[in-house]
Amino acid sequence: MCNLNKSFVAAFFIILISISPGLFAADSGHFGIGKKPTNEEIAGWDIDVRPDGKGLPKGQGSVLQGEELYEAKCASCHGLFGEGEGRWPPLAGGEDSLTNDRPEKTVGSYWPYASTLWDYINRAMPFTAPKTLSISEVYAITAYVLYLNDLIEDDFVLTQDNLASINMPNEENFYIDNRPDTNNARCMNNCKDPNKIIVVQSLRGITPEQAQESSDTPKTTQSSLSETAIAGKATYTTSCLVCHDSGVAGAPKISDKETWTKRLEQGIDTLVKHATLGFQGDTGLMPAKGGNLALTDEQVKNAVHYMIEAE
Amino acid sequence: MANSKKPESSKVYLAELANQVPSSSRRDFLKKGVKFSTGLAASIATGEAISNNLPPNIPSWSKSLGTGVVSTPYGIPSKFENNVIRRTVPWLTADKISSISMSPIQELKGIITPNGLVFERYHAGAPTVNPDEHRLMIHGLVDNPLIFTMDDLMRFPSESVINFLECPANGGMEWRGPQMEALQFTHGMISCCEWTGVRLSTLLEEVGVQANGKWVLAEGADGAGMSRSIPMDKALDDALIVYAQNGEKLRPEQGYPVRLFNPGWEGNTSVKWLRRLEIGDKPWHHREETSKYTDLMPDGRARRFSYEQEANSVITSPCPENPWGEKGSYEIEGLAWSGRGKIKHVDVSIDGGVTWRPARLKGLVLAKALTRFSLPFKWDGAPSLLQSRAIDETGYVQPTLTQLRDVRGTNSIYHKNSIHTWQLHSNGKIKNVQLK
Repeated sequence: MCNLNKSFVAAFFIILISISPGLFAADSGHFGIGKKPTNEEIAGWDIDVRPDGKGLPKGQGSVLQGEELYEAKCASCHGLFGEGEGRWPPLAGGEDSLTNDRPEKTVGSYWPYASTLWDYINRAMPFTAPKTLSISEVYAITAYVLYLNDLIEDDFVLTQDNLASINMPNEENFYIDNRPDTNNARCMNNCKDPNKIIVVQSLRGITPEQAQESSDTPKTTQSSLSETAIAGKATYTTSCLVCHDSGVAGAPKISDKETWTKRLEQGIDTLVKHATLGFQGDTGLMPAKGGNLALTDEQVKNAVHYMIEAE
Repeated sequence: MANSKKPESSKVYLAELANQVPSSSRRDFLKKGVKFSTGLAASIATGEAISNNLPPNIPSWSKSLGTGVVSTPYGIPSKFENNVIRRTVPWLTADKISSISMSPIQELKGIITPNGLVFERYHAGAPTVNPDEHRLMIHGLVDNPLIFTMDDLMRFPSESVINFLECPANGGMEWRGPQMEALQFTHGMISCCEWTGVRLSTLLEEVGVQANGKWVLAEGADGAGMSRSIPMDKALDDALIVYAQNGEKLRPEQGYPVRLFNPGWEGNTSVKWLRRLEIGDKPWHHREETSKYTDLMPDGRARRFSYEQEANSVITSPCPENPWGEKGSYEIEGLAWSGRGKIKHVDVSIDGGVTWRPARLKGLVLAKALTRFSLPFKWDGAPSLLQSRAIDETGYVQPTLTQLRDVRGTNSIYHKNSIHTWQLHSNGKIKNVQLK
């Protein structure tokens, strides 16, 4: 009797809970999913920097230190003086050009905040090996790019305390989106004078070829590559292609087999050595491991073989 | 040694120098050549076969068996559709890692872009992210910072929406004049998918945004650490944390395993491979919202945070890739869209904008989604200047190019949404032109 009563109460209690609206997460406001990150986890990922300097880590770097780093890690794309190689972005110059027919938007002529430069170099540069620079290297390279834009003197030492106070000349010229900025009317008849229409034709010859090879002839020609070369293809794609596909900064183009033939006369070992340790050639500078020091020597060697053998 | 003899091909020669390629390579090369000519012969044979497949003959595929189930476990399009692919404009960017490709909108039907054809935009290439090792962290001005696994994110209630995704540089090659003889290149930086994920507002409620939390920094896990500042209003309105598109998990190109999605806004704000959201009281003014994705005006000043994609439209048939043939009946068809809501009307002109007639909107008409318009047309073979003009539910009328240039000049790169003109020649061919 007593036992029966107990189980009745228990069953009643369970039913009560199961129909309680508090169990539906949307009503309670919280789902309780996810875990609290540790301070270390947040610190490792919280890399962003703001114009007021919030987010800058303690550190410093001088223009002088920056010059050497810039020439080794940045100049192959951005040019020795920030002028930009090929289609890679120029970083300096272009003062007072923003109203020109062909404006040059550089760090000095366009960017509103110096913090953006520090943040971007830290998160995304060098292009082939992002997030590999030390904090002091980021300060130093940032300082050097500011120096290339005549924004600081050559003896300047950039720190977490003085970066936010650097004035960028174009800061005041940005404003919040104020569109819509046109007011077209839904006219249906006699909307313009048909005799005054001038038709401008497109430039010829710059539309890319759109013909596609038949899928019956797949481009799997890798079988003729050596195993070393096949192993090097992925490294080439992620770390070398950027310069060696287009020939930026005097890099021998992968397709320019004549150049490679000449280079190979020194022997494959020399080529691999130059690629691994870096090399100042007649046409340009090969940074050590293409600037991506995270690559192993083996990966660099394989990539060199791929570049020699690939069509 | 090898210098003395003339190489069969420079590739083989180089490989021999490097001592890495087996001696069979030359034979491989020859074999490939043979294969190629066999291929040619085969296609001629197929050409003959085609005529045998027409009535009154019984086609060969009606007299044989086809392929069995799961012969392609993940299906691919018919081999006859191999021209329907993404394409890029090689001279547009310095390389293919930080670049863009366009969707073949000239070939697509309806409003949904198949996953393999959604346009690509990378700032440091598409990373290969292991979902088990991927995390989304939300911190900053919140009461309860949280870090989520992909499994965590999928436990939240999900939503699905159909919205377009457009790069603000769509059409941007043509500010100064017409350049591209292809719809894919003039308007292909747009796609439209069903996106599935968790409302960002749900996650923000979970972490408890503090009163001074007005901005959200979204950051990707790619090499570029792609980052944008998003106003809290948008985050709480319709922003989604997306993990699926068109019914399957996100493609790597689209941010696998998780991305932010801001309906109606310029595509780069929908940060892919999303790893972190930080709540702050001010915007961050990062590179992709200062140096890039700001709109330079003729007075040398520049607009920032120009998020919305304004109403736009284009005729997709005919177009340079889809010319007309002989005179007769055709359907003028196209796409319209607005980042501010639904498309209300689309008008079509065949005389360069002197007179306009309303087109019919067909299929689904959804806010911030591609919308199809149609106008059946009996073509008498006369040359014509074809245009379309979108009007969205806010009453905004798509501007002419002259109106846009009068305000913005020709150097703002982004947000060129002006009325587009195709010149129809009497032979049915279409040329990309602009009107003054």
